Amino acid sequence: MSETAEDESRPRVLGVRFGANPNSSSLGVDVSFLLFGGTAALAAGLFLSSWLRARRKPAELVGQADAKSAP
Amino acid sequence: MKIRAEWFGGIVSLERPRALVSVNRAMMRLLGLADSPRWKGADPERLTAPTEVHVVVSKRCSAGCKSCYVDATPQGNALSLEQAKAALDRLAAHGVFHVALGGGEATDLDYLFEIAAYARQIGILPNLTTAGLNMTCAMAERCKVFGQINVSIDGVGARYADARGFDGFRLAERALRQLREVKKEVGINCVVSRTTYDHLDEVVGLARKLRLNEVELLRFKPAGRGAKTFEEEDLTPEQGRGMFPLAKKLMFKHRMRIKLDCSFAPMVFWHRPNPAVARFFGVVGCEGGNLLASVMPDGNLVGCSFGGPNEASIFDAEGTARAFDRGFEAFRGYVDRAPEPCKSCEYLKLCKGGCRIVSQARGDWWQPDPGCPRVQAHRAGAAKLPVIQS
Repeated sequence: MSETAEDESRPRVLGVRFGANPNSSSLGVDVSFLLFGGTAALAAGLFLSSWLRARRKPAELVGQADAKSAP
Repeated sequence: MKIRAEWFGGIVSLERPRALVSVNRAMMRLLGLADSPRWKGADPERLTAPTEVHVVVSKRCSAGCKSCYVDATPQGNALSLEQAKAALDRLAAHGVFHVALGGGEATDLDYLFEIAAYARQIGILPNLTTAGLNMTCAMAERCKVFGQINVSIDGVGARYADARGFDGFRLAERALRQLREVKKEVGINCVVSRTTYDHLDEVVGLARKLRLNEVELLRFKPAGRGAKTFEEEDLTPEQGRGMFPLAKKLMFKHRMRIKLDCSFAPMVFWHRPNPAVARFFGVVGCEGGNLLASVMPDGNLVGCSFGGPNEASIFDAEGTARAFDRGFEAFRGYVDRAPEPCKSCEYLKLCKGGCRIVSQARGDWWQPDPGCPRVQAHRAGAAKLPVIQS
């Protein structure tokens, strides 16, 4: 997910995984999205970007544990 | 909205729409977050922790499925409620967003719903896989605590018994109806084997009839009791090549969301989908120890619940942190060590060589997945491999 410096100045969605996985091995292929190619990726990126910008609630930062601070 | 900082920016967990969204640093700033120390230095090419973890709460189950992946028995061991809570606390500390609770039969534990409620309480979305054999209306009502729930159905009617070794179809179907009465995020898990392959249409048709939200097709794996029947149940090369087209056909025919599990990645990439689109939508192969990890009933933290070395005890804070930081080499190390034909495959960084568990069962953990059509062509000496563009 590396970006150029120019890309980095523009708020962007880099990727998305829709839904939730109940399985041990379900991190895989959602066939539906692959079928619609780049159009689907562009549309999803724009939609999610707008959605995130419109959110008013403050975000909660999680996962700050490291080897020293983990409980 | 929960966010975890990563080198590239961060991952945002949304409730509606249910999604994990990777965003760049500029988007993180736009969302009001300060620059993260994780943004310094070179790209580590790994996440700080999995986004989701499969918690095998128990290896206890009385169904006796002939190919159970965890070799579950009525006396199998299980995480206690206190241990499960401690494991969830550890995962929450590392910013894990989702857990998949499974077994064995997780609903056999009378404290399963306490585990799920606790996960919710500390900000983790609990999801569930169940055979559904002991589902009741009251239990379905309690299942509202979960996000996605999938019921395991490998065949409709008599084919269920063919796949599982006992006739549980009516109970599993009843469970789907009971669950669907109380929530929308209900689907089917279907293990795809040589014998179930030709009957997937019936399973997806059932999902449509019951207005479920997805069918997950899972490749038969050589784990637990499945190891004994793997040779007979592994897909034929023709079935492997046909898996992705079949999934597309079923999706269009039944207008149902179809998901293929990570071990099907080589069979998908054989059809050369757009790599950028695949990357955007998280279409990836083995993500053991990166996006995904597993906690076993003894507390062992492993890259994949089907196999691989124990990296740490989830009850050991430093060991867990070390594993997430630089462990899971048995999974993460494949891309750098990949032999041909993986080495020259343009999808290597997405596919990651297919399923390590299948490779190990066929003789060598570090060899490419023998179920991959490209690997099969390479081994057959066929020269017509796809042209690689760097």
